[in-house]
Amino acid sequence: MNMTTGRSSDPPSPSAPQAPEIPNGGSEISGLPTEITPETDLASLSQSQLYELNQNLLEDSVPTRALIEDIAPMSVLRAEYENGSQSFVKQIDSLVAKGFNSIRRARGDGDCFYRSVAFAYVDSILKAADVAIAAASAISLLESTFPMLEQAGFQKLVFEDFYDVLASLLQNIAQGTNDGKSLESKILLAFQSPEISNSIVVYLRLLTSARIRTDPDEYAPFLFHPEIGIQLEPREFCEAFVEAVGKEADHVQMTALARTLRLNLDVAYLDGRSSDGHVDFVEFRNSDSTPLTLLYRPGHYDILLKSGNGHT
Amino acid sequence: MASISARRLAKELREIQLEGCPVGIALVTADDFATWRFSIEVMGESLYEGEQYLLQFRFDSQYPISSPAVQFVVGPERESPIHPHVYSNGHICASILGTEWSPVLSVVAVCVTLQSMLASCKKKERPVDNDRYVRTAPENPKKTRFHYDDDNV
Repeated sequence: MNMTTGRSSDPPSPSAPQAPEIPNGGSEISGLPTEITPETDLASLSQSQLYELNQNLLEDSVPTRALIEDIAPMSVLRAEYENGSQSFVKQIDSLVAKGFNSIRRARGDGDCFYRSVAFAYVDSILKAADVAIAAASAISLLESTFPMLEQAGFQKLVFEDFYDVLASLLQNIAQGTNDGKSLESKILLAFQSPEISNSIVVYLRLLTSARIRTDPDEYAPFLFHPEIGIQLEPREFCEAFVEAVGKEADHVQMTALARTLRLNLDVAYLDGRSSDGHVDFVEFRNSDSTPLTLLYRPGHYDILLKSGNGHT
Repeated sequence: MASISARRLAKELREIQLEGCPVGIALVTADDFATWRFSIEVMGESLYEGEQYLLQFRFDSQYPISSPAVQFVVGPERESPIHPHVYSNGHICASILGTEWSPVLSVVAVCVTLQSMLASCKKKERPVDNDRYVRTAPENPKKTRFHYDDDNV
């Protein structure tokens, strides 16, 4: 059995043990496993070792999701809740009644908000009435973010490689092929490749961070530590909860990113809170285009699709 | 096209060669995009006055999205600095090398952060769990922390 340690959970859980921080002097680090053999007495392990052991077993037994999956019908999601909470099932049914009959899942690695937005954004360009114009205007919008990134204190060296990855994907779309379908599968493959997919995620994180850092009047009142609730300076908040990979986005990050990309974004909250199947939508409005829609379940985001948006 | 990590490291290296490192930090070896070494000393008054340490970076193909593996080099004639966050095997307990790593950080930025971690030290001592940790520590310090889950680990 592979006993490599130190992998994040899937999806991220707020109760997951955290890595040691500088201030606590590494008192936690001793709890992390090195070599656990079948002879190891479980009672001798710390909480975090047991947690990781359990995570490793889970990961060994459950195949890892693709970073972004192909489209699946909502019935697949519904089936997962049928033996569980009926309020979730009712909410799923009401989404289907609204026309949301498909879902495209993102891996629950803490980057799923950014990855879902990125994919839905690129996908919307691919499906635009005039694909070449949509791609070209997306590229010029992204180019126009350089001054903001530099004003936020990011070196060109830091962001240009990530930008290049996203821009070259959009250029491929602009140039097009005669076969729209193969372009679609190329985009999906690109988003499933860690190097390309994660680079795009990082670029979106940097855009989000730069927006918050360069417009503190707008965002500073809403920057709180997600666990302990204390107010943070924009720099502290962005370093720890926007720029760091695997840190999930909350409302303030969504607002900043949607504004920067001039996106209309809807987030449907599938949270089991309503017994009659009502689903709350949180809307971000920055243009007059058709909104991208994400499905939020506590701690995780996927892409929600209406019929006609995808294939079978 | 070269991998993201090679392109980024080539740029970082060029910048180091053109502009040099901050005071107290010097590039010792960078012969490839896998392992780099820097010497590091704390300038001015500090508990580490006159001491020089060797800091090693190891990069995987997902750098800078995944953090580099950073540690002090220890050997027969070389010790890691005695510090509450530095183990005697050279491993360092610092959140920026683990959960708070971000691709915004560069190799030089990490050197500077660790240099100031030493500079602000009030008492030279090992972490309380040093012996226990060192006895069972994995070779690669990245494996002792939660870090970003990528497929190439």
